[in-house]
Parts: sequence; structure tokens; C-alpha cells
Amino acid sequence: MSKTDVVEAYTPNFEGWVREFHEWQTRIGFDPAWLGDYRFEIRFDWDSAGKTIEFGDFEGMPKWSRRMQIPQQNIRDAIINMISVQGDTEFASVEQQNHLLATAPTEYDRKSALRIMCEEQRHGWQMAYLLCTYFGEQGVREAAKLLERNAQDGTRLLGSFNAPIDHWLDFFCFTHFIDRDGKYQLKMLSTSSFQPLSASMGPMLKEESFHLGTGANGLRRIVKAGVIPVSFLQKYINKWVSTGLDLFGTDESTSAQWAYVYGVKGRYDERESEQEADREHLNEASRGLYFDELKAEMVRISKGRKEGEPELYIPSDKFNRGIGKYSSEMYTVTGEEFDGSPDEYQAYLAEVLPSDEDERKLMEEYMAPGVEWIQYREWKG
Amino acid sequence: MQTHALLNVDRKLLAPFFDRVPELFDKYHNREEEKPDVYEELLYKIHRPLSSEMLDMIDDWMGLEHRSLNQDQELMLRLFLLAIRYPDTLLLESLDDVITNDVRRISAYLHFTSHTYTIWDQDTRSGLKKLGFDIPDTTNADPFIYGAYVGTIELIKDLAPFTCFLEHDVPRQRLFQAAIAQYGREA
Repeated sequence: MSKTDVVEAYTPNFEGWVREFHEWQTRIGFDPAWLGDYRFEIRFDWDSAGKTIEFGDFEGMPKWSRRMQIPQQNIRDAIINMISVQGDTEFASVEQQNHLLATAPTEYDRKSALRIMCEEQRHGWQMAYLLCTYFGEQGVREAAKLLERNAQDGTRLLGSFNAPIDHWLDFFCFTHFIDRDGKYQLKMLSTSSFQPLSASMGPMLKEESFHLGTGANGLRRIVKAGVIPVSFLQKYINKWVSTGLDLFGTDESTSAQWAYVYGVKGRYDERESEQEADREHLNEASRGLYFDELKAEMVRISKGRKEGEPELYIPSDKFNRGIGKYSSEMYTVTGEEFDGSPDEYQAYLAEVLPSDEDERKLMEEYMAPGVEWIQYREWKG
Repeated sequence: MQTHALLNVDRKLLAPFFDRVPELFDKYHNREEEKPDVYEELLYKIHRPLSSEMLDMIDDWMGLEHRSLNQDQELMLRLFLLAIRYPDTLLLESLDDVITNDVRRISAYLHFTSHTYTIWDQDTRSGLKKLGFDIPDTTNADPFIYGAYVGTIELIKDLAPFTCFLEHDVPRQRLFQAAIAQYGREA
């Protein structure tokens, strides 16, 4: 059973960071009044985290609950790095998305997006709290950087968190495909050997499921409304899937392998799987599960399409990849090797990915004011 | 109203239920008799300003005859549904008895207009009992009993681990109510 502990008193380090956080909100144009009665809280679910290291070379030993219990500096560095990357994505997504609140198609969507942004900020708080509370001066420095890097300047740690989210179709794709990757990362950290990190994940994962649901439902509602043609939507799916797949990192990753050896980051199905981990292909395994999940979800999303419209599909995992063995290779959306020159491939990409003209058409025609391009839904608390 | 202090929760009773929430929800919600497609459509079709036709659609989904209310009572009901905010249930006392004489019906209206309110159901009551929460039986919408019912489901939702939170179009309150109902049915 899940019993969530809420931290009541903060350390001076973290209180200092909170002051910087409020300045960050002002800087990015997020009005704190939008939060209403929402309060940022630091939440831990110690029961779900467990007490014993679950995998890797320290398996069976007690989980580490303080910095000094972590046996090696390189393990501390790996943990700090993971917390920093996670925190970085949380603040980045708010920087990418908060301008969309002014153009929400319905009040339901505005409130859903606002809730997501509040919770992403809370997740960022949680990561900053871990850095400031458990990792001394090094942690305080890393926590400060979470608010210094900026998606608009392109300085966030991961590429897709620097990409602009210009409209609501991208928002729904982002929450469906990229937040789903986030769910995988959180679940992989939920079995971490560093207990404050694993105990942070339960409450975050509960909140994350709403974010994914918002993305999947948003896409379903767009398909159901039938204003944006399915073949047009497909281009956006082609664009976001490869981005999501890349977020799992390189194939045969040694850093994933070390993180597993240290017990810091497990497999997505670490607690459920009865098989030994293939330590050399950890990223590939998680990516494979994510890819299967995307395909199943797309069947559900596609169900609501109008008669005569083609079925939406998930493009091949070889298509348009920026990381891994298919990176920079020429593959079609169906996974065949492209038979043509690099110039011809660029022309092919322009057909299957959204072009500037598509973006214009989307904004000026399909999503023009007064067009009901998404099925209406009321916010009901 | 939060009717059960955390100290009164029997964790041992809840653990096996939490292990099965996705499976239990799926069994209950996707049964043909539950008309899951209609339920999910109603989430979109019921919205402000509420009309009598919308309430009729809920009656139909519930398998109930359409309510028979005079014009004033119908207006009172719609105003009530627009005004009530969770966790309030005492506002039920302001309604005529004829409106509150069927807790199933009014809880369904409440659920589709404000998802935090859950649909009253005997299987759910049995499930709650199995989980250590004995909610008294009632046929009319007693604000205290219904308040305890709703508050208890909210509490269970708050205590649940992340593995229970399915990614689904239904509100979380329905997710838990349906899972508890299936659990109760197995009692």
C-alpha cells in the first residue's frame, strides 16, 4: 500500500533554491496566480521504494538513504546526473508549453494543461529538493542549473526539450509520446538503490498517468472531430515517435550498464520480469517495450476515425532516428531501406514529416478560430 | 467529508486489492451490461448548461425509467447539480424527497456533472466492506451515508500505489469505484 509522506520543513539550501524558483517563474512568464490553491509539496512513498537493493552488484544490501552511504564517488555522480536530467526535463516542458494556455481550444484543455504544468513544476521541485538536501554543495550547484538552462535558448540537456511546442497538436503529441518516455524513466528509477530517489517516483508516477492520458485523449478527440485529416496527423506522429525513441539513449550503452551495476536505474519491468537483465542492451529493451506500447495505444486512438479515413500507425523504429544504430541511415516510415540518393531522401522526408506549409495550413485552416477541430469536453473537477 | 482517519485504515486488507486494480476495473467496466462505450460517450455529452435530455441519457445508461418531476423540481435538480462542489453532500438536504429518493439515480447525475462524486452501487458497498469500510445501506440519498461512500473511495484512491493508475479515458473515481465493485462482486 502506498503511504505518501509530505515533507513539512525544508533545509536552508532548498529554501534558497525556492526563492530562485519564484524568479524563474516570473522570467518564463508563468503567473503564480494560475496555480490557484495548488501547493508544491515534496512527497515520498517509502513503502513502494523498498529497503533492499533490488538488482546490480549491490543486490541484497540495504538501499542508501544518505550520500555518505553511497560507496563510491562515481556512483554519487551517476545519481546526481540522473536527478539533474530528470529535473531538467520537468522545468523545460513548462518553458516549452506555458504560452499555449492563452490559445486552449476548450476550458477543459486549458485546465488539463495547467494541471500538467503545475505537476511538472512539482516534479522539478522534488528533484531540486533531492539535490539540495542530499548532495551538499555539488547538489546545490546542480539544482541552481535546473533554473538557469532554458528551453527557449536551446540549453536544456535533452534535444526534444529544446524543440518548440508551437501549437496544441504538438502539445498532445508531446504529452502522449514524450511524457510516455518520462513514465518509463520514472518507473526505471522507482527501483533505484538510492532510496530518496526511488521513494520520489511513486507520487510522481501517479501524476504522470494524467499527463499521458491528456495526450492520448487529446489525439483521440482530434481524430473523432475529423477536421484534421488522418493523413495530415500521421506526419506529426512520424515526427514525434522518432524523438521519443531517441530519448531512451544509445544502443549498447555503457552508462546504462553502469547504472544497472550500481543499482541506480533498473529496467522498466524490473520487478515484474523473471528474466536476467541483458546488461549490454538495457536501453534497447526499454525502448522495445515503449515501442510496443505506442503501437497498442495508436490502435485505440485510430479507432475513432471517420469512415474512409486511413488507419493511423506508428512508424518503424528505424525511421528518422538521431541516436543508435539506425541514426543518420535512410529508412522509410515502414522500415525499408530507402532506395535513392540523400537528396531524394530529403525530399521523401519533406513528404512524410510536417513541412512549413503544413504548419501554416494547420494554424490558418484546421485550427483557425471558430473551427471545432477537437471534440468538446467539459472540465468537471 | 473525510470520514475515515488514516489510522483506521487496515493496510493488510487493501494490499491484495491494490495488486489487482487494473484487472478488476477491466472486468467490471468492460462488461457488456455496463455499456462502457455509452459511459465514455456520456463523459463528453453531459455538460453545462445541463438539459433534461442529458439527464435522460444518464437514466437510459443506468437502465432507469426517466424521472418524473414537476417543472420546479426539475429546475431545482439542475441548479443543485450546477451548484454542488466536492466534498459537499449536505446540499442534498435542500432537495425535495422525490428527487433524492433514489441514491443510484442522483449519484449518477452527480458523477457525470462532477466526476469526484461516484455512482452508488451495492457491489461497491460490498467491496468497501471487504476492504474494511462498512458503509450503511440506504436507498435514498442520505447526505451523510453518501458522503461517507464518496469520501472513502477518494481515500482509497489517495492511498493507492502508482501501479493502480491506469491510463484510461475514465475519471479516476470511476476507475476505483468499478474496481471496488468487482472486488465486492467476488465476495
